[in-house]
Amino acid sequence: MIEDLFLIEKQTYRDSFIHRLDARVKIIISFAAIIAMVAVPYSTTVYSVGSLLIIFFLVLWVFSRLPPSVYIWRLVMVLPFGIFIIVAQIFFTNPHYAVFHPIVTLPLNIHIYAESIEFATILLVKFLVCISFIILLSSTTKMQDLLEGAGRLGFPPEFSLIMGLMIRYLFVFAYMYRKVTEALETRCFNPLSREIPWKYRIRMLGYTIGTMFVRAYEQGERTYYAMLCRGYDRDSRLFIRKKPLVPGDWCFLVCGMVVVVAAPILVWFDIIRLI
Amino acid sequence: MHIPDGFIPLLQTIIYWIIALLFIALALRWARKELSEEKVPIVAVLAAAIFAIQAFNLPVGMGTSGHLVGGALAAIILGSPYAAVFILSIVLIIQGVIFGDGGITTMGANIVNMGVIGGFVGFYAFTGFKSAIKNPYVSAGIAAWFACVIPALAASVELWIAGTFPLVGGMIAMGTYHAAIGVIEAVITAVAVYLIWHARPELDWSTMSQAEAGRVTAA
Repeated sequence: MIEDLFLIEKQTYRDSFIHRLDARVKIIISFAAIIAMVAVPYSTTVYSVGSLLIIFFLVLWVFSRLPPSVYIWRLVMVLPFGIFIIVAQIFFTNPHYAVFHPIVTLPLNIHIYAESIEFATILLVKFLVCISFIILLSSTTKMQDLLEGAGRLGFPPEFSLIMGLMIRYLFVFAYMYRKVTEALETRCFNPLSREIPWKYRIRMLGYTIGTMFVRAYEQGERTYYAMLCRGYDRDSRLFIRKKPLVPGDWCFLVCGMVVVVAAPILVWFDIIRLI
Repeated sequence: MHIPDGFIPLLQTIIYWIIALLFIALALRWARKELSEEKVPIVAVLAAAIFAIQAFNLPVGMGTSGHLVGGALAAIILGSPYAAVFILSIVLIIQGVIFGDGGITTMGANIVNMGVIGGFVGFYAFTGFKSAIKNPYVSAGIAAWFACVIPALAASVELWIAGTFPLVGGMIAMGTYHAAIGVIEAVITAVAVYLIWHARPELDWSTMSQAEAGRVTAA
């Protein structure tokens, strides 16, 4: 995962209306959209609410001027566990339906139910909407801006300090990870190769991971002394400058929240029904 | 094991968030009371390192691969389950917000599973097995196995309560997969702990007397 860090951060350095928005606005809109989607009960209402939110996401993605390939690449990266649960659904009954109608019967008394397919689709829509807004947020906002935005929204200062440090060293360790894996590759070491004894592979990987841990510990000690030289003590906090929202940010925040709040309400009262 | 958004109803995610926040608050209190100021940057850098360590592809066998969770490793090396809660919470926030691995509403449940359950099981299994079998590295390995399997079982119970996965099927699928992955987590954790405590013997709190451990923490 860490190897994709540079590619994700690279997208945030593009320029667009969405990229220029204050991080707080993007955090609030994204989280609100996710909460709105999760709050919709497991019913076919999810299709219409999900469609409206996906349209909203697509509009924002177009405004962000990011290529569709970035979205697809990011989506593929996080699919496996969610897709496993979604696909497995079709073989099971669940407490959300009273009656199940088998449409396919497989050996070993395994059935595929019509209601389970519907439930799997509901989960898929919820999953896709939520993940899309996270992809939008992290593809258009630098990690440091996200941290500062979260700090301005009331994220605990103890966490802000540690996360600020962690974010900086994340890139250092991403480089270190790359260098270590390259060093292993140049020595023809493939952890998944069956031509190398399993015990040897495990020992080497264990030592590599242990070495990274020791290097991290020593880096932490060096960082501490460097911080101490610059006046760090127990009560030090990450300095986050106060920054009022500009009218454009306010306007986008209000419009975005109206869409996010109105979508489930309009569908719930049957004023809009897309599917 | 990272439960995505939409797989747990909102009301239940709030309950998991409350439990997670309670343990995060306890971890913060632990950090203020037990950690010397020196350890704060170390914890931050170790959190970044855990992220890199999780990226290594590890051979599980039969052509499959897995990766380390690292909760047990963090708890054992730093000598407290709260260290794992602290580090894994930070790692899970970054994974959820930046990479989309694990959800925002379900982050509380993920912190409870991997940070709280993983950290506490890892640490107390280590201390329990170490007092029984006297070998810190084997104990670290067994603790890491439990810290991998039990959070996975907890995740399958949470999905069952949410009504998104059957209990028996979930326990068998998640339990079997993580029991296999847990073997590699166990061996790698044991080897890594061996290397770390041989390279930096002063970090080995498990062989110190309480007075010595107190002096090291206070320093």
